[in-house]
Amino acid sequence: MTSDPPDRRTVVTGIGVVAPNGVGADDFWKATREGASVIGPITREGCGQLPLRVAGEVRGFDAEAAVEGRYLVQTDRFTHYAMAAADLALEDARLRPDENSPFATGVVTAAGSGGGEFGQRELQNLWGDGPRFVGPYQSIAWFYAASTGQISIRGGFKGPCAVVASDEAGGLDALAHAARTISRGADAVVVGGAEAPLAPYSMVCQLGYPELSLDDDPATAYLPFTGRACGFVPAEGGAMFVLEDERAARRRGARIRAELAGHAATFTGASRWAESREGLAHAIRAALEQARCAPDEVDVVFADALGVPEADLAEARAIADVLGGHAARVPVTAPKTGTGRAYCGAPLLDAAAAVLAMEQGFVPPTPNVTEVAYDLDLVRGRGRTAELRTALVLSRGLMGSNAALVLRAGAARPS
Amino acid sequence: MTHALTHGELAALIKGRAGISVDPVDLERPGATFEEFGVDSLALLGIVGELENKYALPITPGAEMSKTPQDFLDAVNASATTGA
Repeated sequence: MTSDPPDRRTVVTGIGVVAPNGVGADDFWKATREGASVIGPITREGCGQLPLRVAGEVRGFDAEAAVEGRYLVQTDRFTHYAMAAADLALEDARLRPDENSPFATGVVTAAGSGGGEFGQRELQNLWGDGPRFVGPYQSIAWFYAASTGQISIRGGFKGPCAVVASDEAGGLDALAHAARTISRGADAVVVGGAEAPLAPYSMVCQLGYPELSLDDDPATAYLPFTGRACGFVPAEGGAMFVLEDERAARRRGARIRAELAGHAATFTGASRWAESREGLAHAIRAALEQARCAPDEVDVVFADALGVPEADLAEARAIADVLGGHAARVPVTAPKTGTGRAYCGAPLLDAAAAVLAMEQGFVPPTPNVTEVAYDLDLVRGRGRTAELRTALVLSRGLMGSNAALVLRAGAARPS
Repeated sequence: MTHALTHGELAALIKGRAGISVDPVDLERPGATFEEFGVDSLALLGIVGELENKYALPITPGAEMSKTPQDFLDAVNASATTGA
């Protein structure tokens, strides 16, 4: 699938992050820039007996302070994160919910697994006490669409709303869907997604993934592109953005942080990692084409970095297939090795990091990774100062989706 | 149910099931509606379920569609006395 070039340009005006390494874009960037690793033992109730030992938990998030009680009782943790991130993004964009016509602002979220923790509680009530003990909010809280619906209701956004359920790469597909929504006439879209897969039922579901790392050492559990790669560590959290039509953003004097320049997505089948090379390459090529971006204009790549040797090889080759000789020179990074992969929240956190990296002129490092087994300039250690005009963000899902996103830096300051 | 549900108990149920803080005095005010407090039919359905489980008594179907606290209390308390 390739999106047609939109007539209207879509720009990023707000970023809201709820991540294992920071709540709010500032804290997230500080930790990402420093390459701090926050992967650690899973501390959630009922998870202690499971063989998955380490993950990226969101800490220091006070749901009751972030979200009103009436929304908390009817939503799962994944929606708590999404609502809080949406607030942060709107605040960052200085877009008041009542600023535009309510019909001019839409909401799009990506969801990988929905509200497993809420669903488990209600299903335990069902089988433990009987159907009369299942609360009515079970009908909406577990559902993939819950975050879009609740953000829309809570903010009064009555523009086009959607949910993208296309695997991890759905995080990038949601951004593209928002751009299409804007190209069709919406002024703004609150878009992104967050996941909360660290609860007993959700974790048991993940145990079936052959790509999951069961290493219990936070320092070695997730080492993509190395000879010691043994799978990925899961995480929770995600990011929400305010995307706007460039003219609408300029009209209201918003700060333009980046432009969504290109996106494409492909599908190559669940866990068929060798095939993902061709699929990812095709997505990169099409996204660059849409962005009218030559391969050597790419200044930084945020890699998918699954941490499975076959998948890492396929990704390294896909990058080389499209970028040619530039592939060995362009800085490649995977900050998610310090947080774990928050499923479809992961590429959204990468997109947030990419915007911040371009603004700050700094490529954040790949935490915990010290050696590289592939012909990539993987940024390790302390990160790297660089002028960054164009960032490429890559994502693949365990079920076979591949996506590439091209972001361009916000308008250069007049010299 | 051995006694009639009060406005105070209803306020506590609204807080517990719907996450909304309401002063019992406001619930009691003549003309008060659930809409003004943001209490919708899903919230009331949860409250009905909790009352039915707690007192092992069926409540008249449709109580959750009540528009006002008084209508709701009337429906619940009628169920309790008539056995619905």
